[in-house]
Amino acid sequence: MDAPQSKSRDLDKLLLRSGNLVGPGFFPGTDLRDDIREYVKVLVVGAGGLGCELLKDLALSGFRNLDVIDMDRIEVTNLNRQFLFRLEDVGKPKAEVAAKRVMERVSGVEIVPHFSRIEDKELEFYNDFNIIALGLDSIEARRYINGVACGFLEYDEDDTPRSETIKPMVDGGTEGFKGHARVIVPGVTPCFECTIWLFPPQVKFPLCTLAETPRNAAHCIEYAHLIKWHEVHGGKSFDPDEPEHMKWVYDEAIKRAELFGIPGVTYSLTQGVVKNIIPAIASTNAIISAACALETLKIVSGCSKTLANYLTYNGGEGLHTKVTEFERDKECLVCGPGILIELDTSITLQKFIEMLEEHPKLLLSKASVKHGKDSLYMQAPPVLEEMHRPNLSKPLYDLMGRVEKDTVHVFGTSLKNEEKQSSLTKLRVVFKEVDGVADMDTAIWRTNSKRKTPF
Amino acid sequence: MDGEELTEQETALYDRQIRVWGANAQRRLTKSHILVSGIKGTVAEFCKNIVLAGVGSVTLMDDSLVTEESLNANFLIPPDENAYKGKTVAEICCDSLKDFNPMVLVSVEKGDLSARSTEFFEKFDVVVIGYGSLATKKAVNEKCRKLSKRVAFYTVDCRDSCGEIFVDLQDYKYTKKKLEEKVECELNFPSFQEAVSVPWKPIPRRTAKLYFAMRVIEVFEENEGRKHGECSLLDLPTVLEIKKKLCEANSVSESHVPDSLLERLITGTIEFPPACAIVGGILAQEVIKAVSGKGEPLKNFFYYDAQDGKGVMEDISNSFTS
Repeated sequence: MDAPQSKSRDLDKLLLRSGNLVGPGFFPGTDLRDDIREYVKVLVVGAGGLGCELLKDLALSGFRNLDVIDMDRIEVTNLNRQFLFRLEDVGKPKAEVAAKRVMERVSGVEIVPHFSRIEDKELEFYNDFNIIALGLDSIEARRYINGVACGFLEYDEDDTPRSETIKPMVDGGTEGFKGHARVIVPGVTPCFECTIWLFPPQVKFPLCTLAETPRNAAHCIEYAHLIKWHEVHGGKSFDPDEPEHMKWVYDEAIKRAELFGIPGVTYSLTQGVVKNIIPAIASTNAIISAACALETLKIVSGCSKTLANYLTYNGGEGLHTKVTEFERDKECLVCGPGILIELDTSITLQKFIEMLEEHPKLLLSKASVKHGKDSLYMQAPPVLEEMHRPNLSKPLYDLMGRVEKDTVHVFGTSLKNEEKQSSLTKLRVVFKEVDGVADMDTAIWRTNSKRKTPF
Repeated sequence: MDGEELTEQETALYDRQIRVWGANAQRRLTKSHILVSGIKGTVAEFCKNIVLAGVGSVTLMDDSLVTEESLNANFLIPPDENAYKGKTVAEICCDSLKDFNPMVLVSVEKGDLSARSTEFFEKFDVVVIGYGSLATKKAVNEKCRKLSKRVAFYTVDCRDSCGEIFVDLQDYKYTKKKLEEKVECELNFPSFQEAVSVPWKPIPRRTAKLYFAMRVIEVFEENEGRKHGECSLLDLPTVLEIKKKLCEANSVSESHVPDSLLERLITGTIEFPPACAIVGGILAQEVIKAVSGKGEPLKNFFYYDAQDGKGVMEDISNSFTS
């Protein structure tokens, strides 16, 4: 099955091949071939602090075809750094206002805004772009886009990534005076998932600490927010945007803090903890976005070595930058060649989907299955579920066109660390005994970290 | 802007940054007055950042008329010839900056910066000279240093995809976070004159080549009576002659300043947008730190080169012993 054709496949030659590019002496500016920037399509994910800066930098740097996607509306607290927005824009969709303002300031650039969630876009939408630049503020969102981009990656017989399926990403993140910029070339550099251990564990206080032994202001706040609220308000859900709810939590947090003699509970901190507010300033966003725009330019023109591959920056005390070259995890579930699954040709799609639930590396429930462009089965929406239901009783081997092996993508809810999260995973399905002999026994499947057969 | 406390509007608007540097620092920012002279891409970026940060006022000086070339890397100038025709760069940028934060007083000052009296600079807490000549940078720095009030002095220069920032905070006291404690620190900054006249020989080998290259070009433009950036490949032989003389006078070999770097700097007359954003961002950060008195400031040069993506701080003063 061929990979979906991208509109500008001929430009794919310019994308990074595996290994380092050594560029000629000239760089950048007028020496860059203008026609490249005329044709290249870049998607900017997020139109917030980083997104606004990214759009400006890319437009000023000569890119002519940009898209921007963001599901949020503008708020007052955005205005200290999201310079494309004015007070009168509060309430409007970020993507739309950002696109409009940049097009007003830079002639010749076309920016298509998408006021939507990233999960609501088809995979083909993302495949249309040559590069994806991320200006996100959550790990989940990054993971999602990473899964999508790496999902396009295909490997050939010798396990080398096929260059025309490589979708590079440039990812930036900031908090206060700190930030990072990184280049992700699926199959070459580590992907987001390969280096997930880089991120400190998300702050989640043990329940007993909140309930019995608080030690700091945040504990008191979360007690009021997560425990006391439900005790008093029953089924009513807490709305962080409702000032009365926030005030209630604040008052309760103060009471608890007084009880335990803990200082530091303020209304501002209460908001920060409950809403998970990230402190943010304009200058850090400007610096990190520019670094990302620079890398985007380098990837597109291919005339200079790109950042290899993770830059961290801290401007609070003095000025510190460090570039680290992280290595790919060859076993990575997302950017690697995919989990090997060996099946009998008789296995039905239904049985396959059930097997995914028990597979130790997947634990995937309610899986939808896609083979190349074909959806074999979809859990939702009901109309499509009904349409694909007849496939469930058919052998997967038949549904996949009776090929000996191929890549399949499965999407569902996986249970990791006792938490459910949406996940998109790549599988290498290999059918055993493909010589017409039907095997009616229960399927034996193996996961294999060492491939026994070339794929 | 008036009164001691932040208004409710300011507190709402600046919420996300108050969580970074605190309400006291924000108060100091809202009372600060910044003078900015010489506006191209990098300085435009700098202005955007400090206006968003909520300084008290920004006074812009740049009487050059807007041309199509001014649009390069400068987001503050809309690409509408009818709108900008006949206007100065400062005037157009002023209008745009006001939009970014109506609480900041942005205004235009006409005339020649170097002709201003010492008293003129007393109005300001920070003076930033963009793309200035050697003579102007020296003269203004001297005037700032004469004042009893401490005026923070910065120069910024971007050529091709490289940038230089110079900082002079004179005798500067600040608080620094060390583990969980706040520590009082003091730094002594050399004047601009001193910093650019430091003998080359004792300066450590691994120092950014841009320091030396910029000094060569400064001398070239002064000798030839050129405005900033008024140079081309045709000038390379003259520039290399100056480099040779400077190296000889400093008893260092000519390899101290790569010819290729000099060539890049004199032929790259247009700025590179990502470099402008990075250098403009760093400069804004430094000004914010100096005004708020929080955080260790840059001492005393910063160099950026987009070609290797590296940003380095260099501490250059007469403290090097031969």
